[in-house]
Amino acid sequence: MTVDWWTLGLQAVNVTVLIWLLARFFWRPLAAIVEERRKIVAATLSEAEAKKAEATAEAAKIAETRAGLAAEREAMLAAAREAAEAEGRRLRDDAARDIAAAREAARDQIEKDGIAARGVWAAQAGQLALGIAARLTGRLAPAPLFQSFLTGLAEAARALPPELRAGAIAEESEIAIESASPLDEAAQAACRDALSLALGGTPRLSFRVEPALIAGLEAHGPHFVISNNWRADLARIEAELNHDRAS
Amino acid sequence: MTSPLESVALFHLGPVPVTAAVLVTWGIMLALALGGFFLTRRLSLRPTRVQALLETVVETLDGQIEETMRVPAAAYRPFVGTLFLYILTANWSSLIPGVEPPTAKLETDAALALLVFIAVIVFGIRAGGVRGYLASFAAPNPIMIPLNFIENITRTFSLLVRLFGNVMSGVFVIGIVLSLAGLLVPIPLMALDLLTGAVQAYIFAVLAMVFIAEAVGEAEHRPSQQRKDP
Repeated sequence: MTVDWWTLGLQAVNVTVLIWLLARFFWRPLAAIVEERRKIVAATLSEAEAKKAEATAEAAKIAETRAGLAAEREAMLAAAREAAEAEGRRLRDDAARDIAAAREAARDQIEKDGIAARGVWAAQAGQLALGIAARLTGRLAPAPLFQSFLTGLAEAARALPPELRAGAIAEESEIAIESASPLDEAAQAACRDALSLALGGTPRLSFRVEPALIAGLEAHGPHFVISNNWRADLARIEAELNHDRAS
Repeated sequence: MTSPLESVALFHLGPVPVTAAVLVTWGIMLALALGGFFLTRRLSLRPTRVQALLETVVETLDGQIEETMRVPAAAYRPFVGTLFLYILTANWSSLIPGVEPPTAKLETDAALALLVFIAVIVFGIRAGGVRGYLASFAAPNPIMIPLNFIENITRTFSLLVRLFGNVMSGVFVIGIVLSLAGLLVPIPLMALDLLTGAVQAYIFAVLAMVFIAEAVGEAEHRPSQQRKDP
């Protein structure tokens, strides 16, 4: 048995070269691609873990937001309920105030209407009284009634201030005597006598008829008017009635 | 029939005789190198079936290295993997009619054993330095230095003899049976030879890993133990 040392050496070199060749063209590329894939898988897994953690955090945040929304909704509902109740209270208060004001206004209006109605009634009553008085005077005897009115007229003339009385009996002055019905000569003479006596002189008189007086006389001097008739009396009564209602 | 122990030169390159084993080895080198180049030319992150198979081979080899040597596989992958691929291819080259596997020749197995012997030294020195590697011969105590040295030589020879004996005997038996019984009779023996070839390639690679791991481990641990001991 012999050993071919050349062959041994050649084979050693051959296998060494093969080791280098395969290391360069086979093992290294395969190991590199395996390592690259391992890194990519690791990176992908890390990324997936990160995404999962991120998704979990997002889910937690969404759940928190959802819970916050529910709480906010409850708060908004409570606020809206409270506002509605406040608005309702305000509206009820306003309505109560309006009703009270309307009631007060109605009461005032009713009172005003009552006052106006009473005025109308008083006016109508006055008219009725005038009518009644006119009818009654028609039934009374004219002479005593005239004498009574003339006496009152003379007393009122006598009560005038002296300068008015003096003015009334002056030559240029004239006193107009109004009566509800025409006066005859005797009645006119009686008027002239009573006034001369009351004024302290003889006044110049004129006579005219004023049916509105109902009954009685009315003297129109230069600066005075003396009324002694039922129209004046009724007017005075009406004025007093109105004064009583107003007070 | 020529003796399997003899290497006949087919031709000479100057003073260098080129035997059939060398020629077949060149063919194997060419096939493996070109195959490796073309198979890894278009690797992608989405592997084809072929790429997936190749990656499985790499990952299996890495797992075997890390399991056996307890170190990262990257530094030892080319040496151990190429030894395995070459021996496997060489053993299975007997399937090609007229081709005698290079591993059936003593010189090829001796060259492989010599490479393992050198690799043990290189990886041992790389791991623990020259002193660390030399100190590993004194484990567990200096008395073991001669025995460890002899062990290094003898285990290299055991590698050589184991591979040569198994492959050469297979080829020899098939040759004898073929000369006696005819064309089809040796086929079961050839199938058995395939199994033997794969097992021998695996054993050679595993033993190479064990020897390298022993040297690397001893070289790495020895200096620290020396530092600890006053």
